[in-house]
Amino acid sequence: MISASVAALGQVTVEPLNLKERTLKNGLKVVSLQDNSTPTVSIHVWYDVGGKNDPPGKSGFAHMFEHMMFKATRNMPNEKLDRLTEDVGGFNNASTWPDYTNYYEVVPSNHLEVLLWAEADRMVNLNVDEANFASEREVVKEEYRQGILAPPYGKLFWLLDDITFQKHPYRRGVIGNLEELSAATRADAEKFYKDYYRPDNAVLVVVGDFDQKQFDMWVDKYFGSLARPNTPIKRVTEVEPEWTAERRFNETGPRVPFPATAIVYRAPRTSSPDIPALRIAQVIISGGESSRMYQSLVRNQQIAQEASVDLELNTEGGRISFIGIGSDKGTSENLEKAMLAELKKIQDGGITAKELEKAKNGLVAAAIRSRETNDGKAILIERAVAYLGDPKAVNGEVAKIQAVSAADVQRVMKQYFKDDNRVVIYYNQAKAAEGEK
Amino acid sequence: MINRMRIADCGLRISLLSVFVVASCVLAAAQSAIPSPGAPRSVVIPSVKEMKLKNGLTVAVIEKKGVPIVTVQLLVKNGASVEDKSKAGLANLTADLLTKGTKTKSATQIAEEIEFLGGSIFSFAGWQNSSVGLSITSDKFDQAMSIMADVALNPSFAEDELKLLKSQTLDELTYNLAEPGFLANYVSTRFTFGEHPAGGSPASIEAISRADVAKFYEDNYRPRESVLIFVGDVSAAKANAAAEKFFGVWSKQVRSYSSTGAGIAARVEGKPIVKRMLVIDLPKSGQASVNFIKQIRGTGRGSRDYYPAAVLNSLLGGGYSSRLNQEIRIKRGLSYGAGSSFAWRQDKSNFGARTQTKNESAAEVAELIVAEIKRLVDSVPTDVELSPRKSVLTGGFGRNLETTQGLAGALADLYTFGIPASELNAYMPSVNAVKNADLKSFAAANLFEGDIIIVGDYEVFKNDLAKRFPNQTISVIKASELDIDSETLRKGDVR
Repeated sequence: MISASVAALGQVTVEPLNLKERTLKNGLKVVSLQDNSTPTVSIHVWYDVGGKNDPPGKSGFAHMFEHMMFKATRNMPNEKLDRLTEDVGGFNNASTWPDYTNYYEVVPSNHLEVLLWAEADRMVNLNVDEANFASEREVVKEEYRQGILAPPYGKLFWLLDDITFQKHPYRRGVIGNLEELSAATRADAEKFYKDYYRPDNAVLVVVGDFDQKQFDMWVDKYFGSLARPNTPIKRVTEVEPEWTAERRFNETGPRVPFPATAIVYRAPRTSSPDIPALRIAQVIISGGESSRMYQSLVRNQQIAQEASVDLELNTEGGRISFIGIGSDKGTSENLEKAMLAELKKIQDGGITAKELEKAKNGLVAAAIRSRETNDGKAILIERAVAYLGDPKAVNGEVAKIQAVSAADVQRVMKQYFKDDNRVVIYYNQAKAAEGEK
Repeated sequence: MINRMRIADCGLRISLLSVFVVASCVLAAAQSAIPSPGAPRSVVIPSVKEMKLKNGLTVAVIEKKGVPIVTVQLLVKNGASVEDKSKAGLANLTADLLTKGTKTKSATQIAEEIEFLGGSIFSFAGWQNSSVGLSITSDKFDQAMSIMADVALNPSFAEDELKLLKSQTLDELTYNLAEPGFLANYVSTRFTFGEHPAGGSPASIEAISRADVAKFYEDNYRPRESVLIFVGDVSAAKANAAAEKFFGVWSKQVRSYSSTGAGIAARVEGKPIVKRMLVIDLPKSGQASVNFIKQIRGTGRGSRDYYPAAVLNSLLGGGYSSRLNQEIRIKRGLSYGAGSSFAWRQDKSNFGARTQTKNESAAEVAELIVAEIKRLVDSVPTDVELSPRKSVLTGGFGRNLETTQGLAGALADLYTFGIPASELNAYMPSVNAVKNADLKSFAAANLFEGDIIIVGDYEVFKNDLAKRFPNQTISVIKASELDIDSETLRKGDVR
């Protein structure tokens, strides 16, 4: 053996992120992590507003509004954020989730002050005009078409929100629909901006190359003077009722190459102590080619091209979906049967010690990989803020995974997956109408 | 999650510098005034250590401390370009089959062993290369290397695994062909580039036998034509020792390829921008895919024109604020995104400008794309416009080198085309050295007589297309009648 094998005996550890937190007088929370090893910096502004906050009858609005945030402000022309990032070798993006919206940039670190100024500016000084609103709405409609209408299974993924949640606004899905996107007005945008875009509804996360003292001064200078509105922030009050009976749907699309099936269950809130065990279960059931569903549905029975467990975890409770996309031998019926059989095997027989260790090793490696860049770390911190209400919770996630036992996995599999709390969706090719071929 | 725009990678630049420059704070600045950027810190590109094993295998190592991850990639410098077109998909199937069983392990055992370590082994083929790769935490490096080497050197190519994989590949193709963007790319391989689809066609996948796979492997997976790349938390000494231990036993005869001669780009000014227009009619398609496609002979990955082409692409369709995205998305709201790219070959490149739009606006978008190509041919961009587009390229290049996987991929790209690894350091200055007028010269020599390919619901844009392109012959093929293996692209016609 070569000498390197000695080092291989030691286990890798996930080092805690030594982050700093403070809250400004106007309510803005600031989380920073200094790391001067590369000359770049990642800046995220997280807002506590997401798809669930779409105004009634205007589904897709929070996401459409996210697009407007790149338009003119009192001090910046349209797309100035692109000039400040792309043009200097950086990039920007934003994303809207059911629970939150984030805006972020990665830039050479000498541009940090400029971006802090710009983020502070668009937090309070946005000017949405009619022309920009109309044009960006068309972009979002194309985004809908590209994501939902053009891909063969786009509609199926859209249905996972639309027909499973009964009352909670999660049922609207973040992308919305063409009709309700058309119904939104510029006045809605102004109101939405006033309601949710404010320092006491935001968290600034910055990771990378800066000097802490200098950074704190810039934050005070650009964000410290923003006013805190004295109106309360509107929160979602609807509560999703228990799902107490199985609901079944036969859905079709115009171009569906092979049958598909989705079996959807309720997931607990992101703050639930059961989440780590559910993550382990997900790896054992569908993570990689050694997973149970890959082995059973894809390799042995050969009825599926893909079989996966999708965890859509939200603060107010999400969904867990078993999704099978058929092979040429797949039918919605045999996919349903095979996925439920794998579920039942774990409920009845539990998991092996080896499977448990495999899942933990995989999740620890993934945690390490996601810490490879400053932006990766900023994303993790942001998710801890969004889902656990505490940026420092980012440092506890690996230990929680390590603490899960085989019995925990079997228990959550019994607790959350029942015959009377699921939604089953069959998704197939629509029959041709008269005169078509 | 729904993004403003899809971005392929996000990461940061690599630097070995530890000096930190603090920008001075301008205390008097009013809140409404934009601050100025501070002094930049320079980006340092990591250095590559190279050695050769006795069997001719090149070993390249980039040590990158900080995160306990190692990416290993075995690059084989042959891919789909050397497969027979009647067996299109052979390089891809061969690469995919490597992880499906060795002389001592079944496919399931391989998956179980590597996934137990929290790692992953991936294999794939491109047009000019094939790869087997590994991502692993550094504490499990030796165990994972042993599995990866077994997969690369001792594949069993079992008959039943090939059968399953062919069936899966065919299903995946059926799935992808329902998507307008994929279908457009698939058609362009044959129609414009004179190549075959690298992943294969239904007929060619069907035709591949175990003997074909075994022969492709024997002929093409050879140490002298391969490079073993290590990036991450591993020293050169440790990586070299692992290379010797696991790949030193690899020995095969050298086979030489006759390289195809490079064509010479002729100036074709006066010719039309669009030579042919092809519509693949996909009734009820959720969107139309609109493409301008051109094969560029004589400009390959290692050619002098690589950098002008890359800068031209950044201006036209690379990144959010490129001209295509400005005109099609930002100004007119006609798409979620429009862009362009070059697929590089040894002695030519395949250029495409692409977007998706609602069927109603397909013809309008085709016209906008043609206008942007014409603008490249007709005018020299200003510094004000071009300088930021160069920053997009150099910034993206640096960010890609931030992850072990990005670095390994960048190295693999260079080795594929026989370009020295030191080119990593030359990239940024080479981009900045491109002259504005070079773009016009490149466009004038290469971007005439391209093909417009539209995949979508033809009934919806038929009249508008005829009106906007009155002098253009429009060929229409129904998607259900498409046969990529036919000379005419139509089913029932002679192959």
